[in-house]
Amino acid sequence: MTVQSQRRGGGYLERPAPSGLADVIEIILDKGIVIDAYVRVSLVGIELLTIDARIVIASVDTYLRFAEATNRLDLYEKGGKDLGEFMGDLQEGGAAKKTSGAVKGVKRAITGGGSDEDDDESRRPAKKAPARRRRTEDA
Amino acid sequence: MTSAAMAAADESGTGEHPAETGYYVYGVVRAGAGRVPADLVGVGGAQVRTVEHGAIAAVVAEVVLDRPPGRRQDLVAHSEVLDGLTATGVVVPVQFGSVLPSSESVVVDLLAPSADYFAALLDELEGRAQYNLRATYHESVVLAEVVEENADIAELRERTRAVPEESAYAERVRLGELVAQAMDDKRAWDAEALLEAVLPWVAGHALRTGGGLDHVLDVALLVDDDRRSDFEEALEALAESVHQRIRLRLVGPMAPYDFVGDS
Repeated sequence: MTVQSQRRGGGYLERPAPSGLADVIEIILDKGIVIDAYVRVSLVGIELLTIDARIVIASVDTYLRFAEATNRLDLYEKGGKDLGEFMGDLQEGGAAKKTSGAVKGVKRAITGGGSDEDDDESRRPAKKAPARRRRTEDA
Repeated sequence: MTSAAMAAADESGTGEHPAETGYYVYGVVRAGAGRVPADLVGVGGAQVRTVEHGAIAAVVAEVVLDRPPGRRQDLVAHSEVLDGLTATGVVVPVQFGSVLPSSESVVVDLLAPSADYFAALLDELEGRAQYNLRATYHESVVLAEVVEENADIAELRERTRAVPEESAYAERVRLGELVAQAMDDKRAWDAEALLEAVLPWVAGHALRTGGGLDHVLDVALLVDDDRRSDFEEALEALAESVHQRIRLRLVGPMAPYDFVGDS
């Protein structure tokens, strides 16, 4: 947020500078040290603002939107060659083993490789071995 | 004050006695001259300064309490002060909208009771910054997976597509519910796999709440400054490897908003 690093590599990673109000709200709202309510004084408008930002959408509306998005989908036209192959990969587990099929799909997508082996090493896209892992949590 | 007394104060108040002010608190830093950039202004345009207590200091600015709500400008001002402080050193952010009545209160109620806590937190966060990583699905690709993988969803989809919208309301809700469940399962697997790939590069992480049909993962990552370029390269490689199904969006570096817990 303070200093934007230069775009590097293939450019698949999006590196936006937070600019809009929504970005800023998302970053700072409810985050940070909380000062006890009995010592703080209130600032006009702040409470309203934090409530405004927490509007939640009703779940039935969400479901209808899911249904609509699913129905809008044109599997045959949108699929094309790439998606068709991808779907073929994912289907290999069959309906009975759909979770393991999905996991394999994920792992393959993340490793970027086309191979099927379950070699643990292949899961890591990182070039170097992890030197330090979650230091604050270990400490 | 009674409501009658408040009404009386309001009536006599305009322009006659000075407006009541408080101290807006932005964050806690290490004490020391020059810690706060000279040109830093906060909510309402007030000059930002420090209130020190031993080795730590609160970054504050005076603010008029009874003022028209600034909303957008207030949020942006808060965020810009934290950015300015992050650019020049380590800072523990305080929650947006925190105001104390006086500089004495800043010391007595905030700094003194938690001095050791703040000192330890500043040590832990020194040389590190936060990034926010958001992963979202390419909606059509993942919905296609869901339909292909679930016979009941595919069947329900065919049925609800074939009839007018208003005649299959219950079935459409049911379809949406099944799709939402299937997406939740996918999300759990994908989020775990992404986290597993990212965690070796970070010093800490905190899951953030996210929502929406395309949501996969929202996580705040604490990254050591000297591993920043390795981390960014790893994320770029990860983004490339998942890009057919998932978009990765990385924002930062920024103040460690998600790594300061509750005092």
